[in-house]
Parts: sequence; C-alpha cells; structure tokens
Amino acid sequence: MSLSGELLAAGLLVVLAASCLLDRYLPRACLAFIAFALLMALAWWRLGAPWLALAEAVMGALLTGMALFHGLGRPGSRSPLPPRDHEGRPRHQAPVRWLAALIWLALAGMAVWGVPGSGEVAASAEVARRPLLVAGLAIMALGLWAFAHHHHLLRRLLAFNVLGSGVFLLLAGLAGPVVEVQGLILVGLMVALVGSVLGAALLRRLHALDGRVTLETGPETTP
Amino acid sequence: MSAPLDAPPSVEAVVLWLALLAPPLLGLAAWRLPPRRMLPVLLVGTPLPLATLWLLHRVSVGGGLEGAWSLAGLRLHWHLDGLAGLLLLLTQLLLLASAAYAVGHRRAAAVPERTFALFWPLLGGLAAALGLIWVAADLLTLYAALELMGLTAVGMMLLPGTGEALLAGMRYLLYALVGSLAWLLGVALLLGATGRLDLAGLAAASEPGAVTGIAMALLAAGLLLKAAIFPLHGWLVPVHASAWTPVSALHGALVVKASFFILMQLWQRLVPEAVAAAWLLGLLGSLAVLWGGLQACRASALKQVVAWSTVGQLGYLMLAFPLLAGTSAAVATLAWQATWLQLAGHALAKAAMFMAAGNLVLADGVSRLTDLAGACRQLPLALMTFGIAAVTLMGLPPSAGFTAKWLLLQAAILAGQWPWVVVLVVGTLLTATYVFRVFRCAFVEASPRHEVRPLPAGMDLVALLLALAALGLGLGAEWPLALLREEGMP
Repeated sequence: MSLSGELLAAGLLVVLAASCLLDRYLPRACLAFIAFALLMALAWWRLGAPWLALAEAVMGALLTGMALFHGLGRPGSRSPLPPRDHEGRPRHQAPVRWLAALIWLALAGMAVWGVPGSGEVAASAEVARRPLLVAGLAIMALGLWAFAHHHHLLRRLLAFNVLGSGVFLLLAGLAGPVVEVQGLILVGLMVALVGSVLGAALLRRLHALDGRVTLETGPETTP
Repeated sequence: MSAPLDAPPSVEAVVLWLALLAPPLLGLAAWRLPPRRMLPVLLVGTPLPLATLWLLHRVSVGGGLEGAWSLAGLRLHWHLDGLAGLLLLLTQLLLLASAAYAVGHRRAAAVPERTFALFWPLLGGLAAALGLIWVAADLLTLYAALELMGLTAVGMMLLPGTGEALLAGMRYLLYALVGSLAWLLGVALLLGATGRLDLAGLAAASEPGAVTGIAMALLAAGLLLKAAIFPLHGWLVPVHASAWTPVSALHGALVVKASFFILMQLWQRLVPEAVAAAWLLGLLGSLAVLWGGLQACRASALKQVVAWSTVGQLGYLMLAFPLLAGTSAAVATLAWQATWLQLAGHALAKAAMFMAAGNLVLADGVSRLTDLAGACRQLPLALMTFGIAAVTLMGLPPSAGFTAKWLLLQAAILAGQWPWVVVLVVGTLLTATYVFRVFRCAFVEASPRHEVRPLPAGMDLVALLLALAALGLGLGAEWPLALLREEGMP
C-alpha cells in the first residue's frame, strides 16, 4: 500500500471520529461511530491482521452499534431518549478533567516521539507506521476532549469507544501488528464491548427511572 | 528452583490451575441452583484454601513455581511465590466468608431469589480474576484479569437495581473504563520500547529513561484510579452506599488492593530507583490517610464511615513506595513486610467491619449513626465485632494492624523519613476518633427503641470470625512473614 493511501485512510478515520463526537444529533453520531469502526476493521485487515479485522467488525461495529442504538431506544418504544443532546456546558469540575486530559495527551505525545528513536524498528516499517501514530494521537485527542467536555452519557460512551480506538492505533503503530498487540487489542475490544453494553443498558434504566441522561446531580431542578 | 517452561505440567501447577478455575464453575452451578443454607457453601468451598495451603507448603520447601501457556503464538507467563500464595489464600478465605454471609444476607434482606442468583456467577468471575492477578507474570494476562475484575465488580455493585445504585455504578463503570485505557496506553509504550510483555523480560529489557517513566506514569494513573487512591477516590464512597453488604466487604477488602498489588509489582521491576516519584506516591498516600480519616469523622451514615475508612487505610499502603526506593536493605525489608501485613490485616478487618455494619443496619432498619442509639443493648454481638475489627484498623496490639504499623514506624525512623511517622500517628488518632464516634452513638440509651429484626446466627458468626482472624494474624504473623522473608523482593 502506498503512503498516500495510508494517509488517506488515516485522515478519513480522524474525520469520522470527529463527526461522531461533534454531532449533537445522537442517531447520526452512532452511525458515524459504526462507520468509524468498520474503517478500523479495514485498517487491521490491511495491516495483515484478518482475525482482528473480523473481531473489530463484529464486536466494534455490529455489537457496539446495536448496544448504542439500544441505549437510544427506538422512537416507538417505551421511554426513548431524546435524539438530540440539549445538555448545557458550564460545569464546576471541568478544569480538573481538562487538566487530566491535557496531561494524558502531553505524556502520550512525548513518549510516542521518544519511542521510535530508541527502538530497533527498520526505517521503512517505521515510516509506514507513522500515519498510524499520527491518526492514533489525533483520535485520542478527540476522544479525551469529548470525554472531558460532554455531559450526555451516550456521548461519553461514544467518546470512550473512540478514545479506546485511538489507543489501539497507537499500540499497533508503536509495536507493529505482532501477536502480542493483537492479543491486547482483542482483550481491549471485548472490554469496550462489555462496557458499552453495560453502559447503554444502565443509561436506559436511569432514563426510565427519573428521566436523566447525565451523571450530574439534579441538573433538571436547578434552572 | 523452577521447572523448565515446556516440561509437562507438574502436580503443583495442575492443583494451582484447578484452584483458580474452580470458582467460576462453582459460580455457574450456584447460578442454576442457588444455595439456601450456609453449610453446603462452606463444604464445597473449603477444599480450595486447603489446596492453596498445600501449595504454600510446597513453595516454602522447594521455592517458587513458574510456567507459561502457549496460546496461538502468544506466551502467557505465570508464577507462584510465597507472596502470591499468601494472597491467594487470603482471597479464598474472604470469598468463602462472603459467600456464606451472602446466603444469610439474601434471607435476612428478603432479596428475591432470581435477583440474587446473578450474584454467584459474578462472584466466581471475581474469584478467577483475583487469582489470576496474584499469579500472572505478563502484562496481557494482568490486563485481562484486571478488566474481568473491574467489570464483575461493577456488575455486583449494580445488582440491587435502585436508582442510587445504578447511578453510582455508572460512574464507577466510566472511571474503570478510562482507567483501563490509561493502563493500555502504558502497556503500548512499554511494548513499543522493549518488545516484551512478560514481567521478567520487561525488567531486564527496559532501561530507565523518559519512555519508561511516562509508561509507568500512565500505568500508575490507571491503577491508582482503580485503587481509589486519594485524588482519584471520588467513585468509592457512593458505590458502597447502595451495594449489598457481602459485595461491599469483598470490594473494600480485595478489589481495590489488587490494583495496588499490580502497581507494586510493576514499580519494583521497572522504576525501583525513582525516589522523587515514590515520594509523590507516599505524599498521595498521606493525604489519603488524612482526608479519608477526616471524612469518616464527618460522615453521617454507618456505611459511609466504613467506606471513608477504606480510603484512609489504603493510604498506609502507599507509604511503602518511598520506604522501598533507594533505602537500605534493612528498611526495605521492614517496609516490604509491613505493607503486605497491613494489606492482609486490613482486608480481614474491613470485610468484618462491613459485615458488622451491615448487620447493624439490617437488624436495626436504620442507617444513620444517630439512629444507632441503644444498639449496645440489643445488638451486642454485631457491635462487638465492629469493635474488634476497629482494633486492627486503629493499630492497637495484638492485632495485625499493630504489627504492620509498628514495622512501618520502625522503617520510617530507620530511614530518617520523619513525615511518615507523623502521618502514622495522626492517622491512628483519626481512626480512633471515628470509631469512638460510632460507639458513642451506639451507647446512647435514652431514645425509645423500636423492634430489631432477628438475623441468621451465621451472619454474626462469619463477621466475628473474620474480625478475630485479623486480630490473630498479629499474633501469628511469624509464619507469613517468614514466607515473605525467604524469597525477598522481586
């Protein structure tokens, strides 16, 4: 695969991640996430990890997508979530989260910059993986921003999934598609799937109990 | 002494893996056929600690065991030394006690059997995850076990199904998931820099430098979040407020400590000489001791007092990092022994305390401290159990808490690290304050009394046995400490 092709795929991944996290209309954001996960599967396939691609397509795109749409609830069903995120922005603990996200990103950036210099990877393989590293960092930054910024629990679940995909890309970019990396990503995909299913089911129950879609204590009561 | 990696598995390895894999199978069986009495649970579970005792005997005679699995081209390593064996034994005893207690709790709290049945497979999963964490020797196994533990713990916290429980569980889930990603990123950096995942290989291949430091920082952040160490403890107290008592007992006793154990293992192998970072961890631990103690003194509900006390007592464990980094061998040995003794003593005492508190709340039907008035006359046994468990937490002789804090004090004085001496003294005073606050409320006799609900006798007995075990561990500390001494530190 040529470098420009890699760059195009990496760029498309970042664009899809951004559109998934920026969209206030939740069904569209979930669809964007499914497309993002399918593109991730394609990326694993081209890296020479067909089983990982299959796992990503089934667990990341299909099952996580189903869980997210279950979390939203069908419009006809009992107590569906409002399809648009109307939560306000001001929040008191936001600075702490922003600080944590920035520290995380700075550490990751510094380490990624430091690793290839000290490792004994062949130069050609290193150049081919550079788009992966850049895309991974960018997607991780988007995920961290969204996780720190959003109130809505479904959007935070999306942010967590995107953040996880960014970490997986960094993992593959740093160590190559060796069997250890595939094992780690496989476990990570399973954890993300169980977390998403649990999170979506919880969100439905919380919404059915008292109409809340955030963790904040009583945002409805304060004007 | 260790067997060659590809030899046919030894008897010890077979026994170990049977002991690790039996709990999930038993959990599934109990899901289909929920036990109604404590005795069958105890009878079925008792062989597991006995097997571990035998393994400990073999380890003390012939040295640690180790081995590896090959799985689709992956090599997964495990090892069993004295420390891992002791922690496995502690885990099995506490799980057994909680399982027996849970049977009584279901009956006393009148939880529908169908709702409660889900507790058993989750308990089995938690047991397998904890066992794997103690014996795992590579980052992939540790990652899988850590996540299995986190997810089963979240699942158990959600079981009551009340709005409060769901909200606290959701917060816990989000924290746990983000913590696991920080951990995975740290693993990615280590794998990228060294190409190894097994702990022994990592210790040999990693060189101190910026990348190792950053990887360790990310790993530590994820683990501290899961261990509820001071600035990252926000999820712990709400989660306990609505959880069932046996779940709270297991969580406070074991789940938060597994993350600490992993952190200690990695720290000792990757950055044993990082003095400044170790002091930072010690400082966080000190703040945890103070903040947790203060909040426990201010809490209005009994379970909150116990939960905040967990935040404080976990802080003592973190003092091990500065006492182990760049100090003399004598100090390091003292601190090493003190840490694991404190962990074991606190695990037993905290489980006993959660159960005693749960008994008080369940029998009395109240949860606020001020409503406990008169409990001294009507529920003397539960209150006494609470008191015996508190002896260990306060560190009074002859409990395990006393021995551990004494060793820690000696290590701090010997190393000339005076700040930790102050922390130990203030922490003990704070613990005494919140414990006596509970007793002061319980000994008020003036208020009109309502009926107390009779509880199955086993519930009080299990809690009392655990509290006495914490006390006895101080007297019988020589055996575990000798096992720890023999093998030294990693």
